[in-house]
Amino acid sequence: MSNSYYEFFCPVKVIAGKAALEHIPYELSGLAAKRPMIVTDKGVRAAGLLDPVIAACEESGLEIISIYDDVPPDSSTTVVRDIAAVYRKEKCDSIIAIGGGSAIDTGKAVNILVSEGGDDIAKYTGAGVLKRPLKPFLVVPTTAGTGSEVTSIAVITDEKKGVKLPFTSSYLLPNAAVIDPRMTLTLPPHITAATAMDAMTHAIESFTCMAKNPLSDAYAAAAIKKVSRSLLQVMDNPKDSDGRLELAQASTMAGIAFSNSMVGLVHSLGHATGAICHLPHGLCMSLYLPYVLEYNLETIREPLSELLLYLEGPEVYAATPSSRRAEASISALRKLRDALYKRCKLPRTLKETGKVTEDQLDQIAEMALDDGSIMFNPKEVNLKDARAVLQRAWA
Amino acid sequence: MLAKRIQPMASQAKRLYVELMFQVMGRALQAVSEVDSEVQGEARTLPERFLFEMMVMPDGSKLIVEHIGDGRFHYHGNSAPRPVDVSIKFKHLTHAFLVLSFQEKTSVAFANDRMLVDGDVSYAVRMTRVLNRLEAFILPKIIAERAVKEYPANLHLPEKLISAAQIYLKVATHFVQTVRA
Repeated sequence: MSNSYYEFFCPVKVIAGKAALEHIPYELSGLAAKRPMIVTDKGVRAAGLLDPVIAACEESGLEIISIYDDVPPDSSTTVVRDIAAVYRKEKCDSIIAIGGGSAIDTGKAVNILVSEGGDDIAKYTGAGVLKRPLKPFLVVPTTAGTGSEVTSIAVITDEKKGVKLPFTSSYLLPNAAVIDPRMTLTLPPHITAATAMDAMTHAIESFTCMAKNPLSDAYAAAAIKKVSRSLLQVMDNPKDSDGRLELAQASTMAGIAFSNSMVGLVHSLGHATGAICHLPHGLCMSLYLPYVLEYNLETIREPLSELLLYLEGPEVYAATPSSRRAEASISALRKLRDALYKRCKLPRTLKETGKVTEDQLDQIAEMALDDGSIMFNPKEVNLKDARAVLQRAWA
Repeated sequence: MLAKRIQPMASQAKRLYVELMFQVMGRALQAVSEVDSEVQGEARTLPERFLFEMMVMPDGSKLIVEHIGDGRFHYHGNSAPRPVDVSIKFKHLTHAFLVLSFQEKTSVAFANDRMLVDGDVSYAVRMTRVLNRLEAFILPKIIAERAVKEYPANLHLPEKLISAAQIYLKVATHFVQTVRA
């Protein structure tokens, strides 16, 4: 299962904890940046999450030159071009992306245009196109799940062609990721649950799929432990800032893990379901996770058994016979999903979502087979297999 | 001293082996698309005139095939008539040798970052399935199991033997035609 060769790369400075936002001016000054632009969305602004960032900068005499707060949930090439135009007009010299996956991906794409020049972001699609460092770029995540602050990929929709353009380069990584519990304190319960399960899935797939390696394993195991310990605490007490910080750190650690070891069938099915049924990504992850682990079980028994220690703690691990630990890990995840359903009705089956019909399952299975992450699933998947997993996840 | 003398020869041997394997695989891809309905089904969803390349970086051996429609591939040798749509690039000759000598599965090579995909990943995934199917046909089961993630359970000996014979015959015919031309 484990590889005799691996690569691991994460040059992002992680700034995490109390008053982390107040480090932004210092970090920017260290990068010789004096005219930052904020890229965010309306929800983040309406929630008042820009205020502490702006205050932190003003207190250090750093003026935010421009704020673009109209990033849509599914960012497009037009949006990227428009933001780049504002950046150039205002003579900005750095970018602070504040938000979830879409705002962060948009920040990465804008950074390509303002660093490399031109208005056509499609020119830079693919892997390894960028050959030099981009402008100073900081990321402040406002959800605890995507891990985009430590991944070297961005996905932007080309509206004219109706396709999603992937951009992959280590130069897309931000100079620093700022993890401050204030930024996730007001996340509503169902988003807290779905995004945390997204982080949990990143970590579990990272730990059980084909490109796992000792370094990504360490990050993944730590992330699983943090989510297992803190998620229900935060659900019961949303203002628990220590718990919020634990989830935010878990998301970043899971992001570091999966960006160095990739993910598998849960993501293939989740991407297809998101595209066809427009369900949120985190919800899809939570929904498919136990069914895919059951499908992969005999190929991942050893690492999945090990995860019981991080999911349930040393007492349960020690009390469970080694031959039953893999199944016990899946049970622990099912128990967690039941607890989340009880607290915020996070769906556990496709039927419970109310947004998927049974006749869409064939289409989802077909699309999932062409998803890049299926390459890294430890067990081969054909159309019949994918359909069978979907049927189990149906109800 | 001896090792230093042998190294260039070993490197040259690897280069020749990879070159030969690409020539066999390219022709076999064309052949399998004429023989197997499952491969034709996979290929049919690719755009017509779709060009697929496998190559060794930076400018080593390569194989190029084109989807000419109706699930059929045409082998172009090592030169493409126009820019390719998807390229799977081995980072080094040694990595290509590991995969093509069945010491490392294609899926493991992807997981080990031995190769890059340039172009639409979904097409690359589809072409990898076609390559796996081809390997399952033309290699003895014991070797094919080293090449693919999972040997297809529904591929039984009579079907495998008949298809392999057809593919090898077509590959040999293509080689002869190339030499004559």
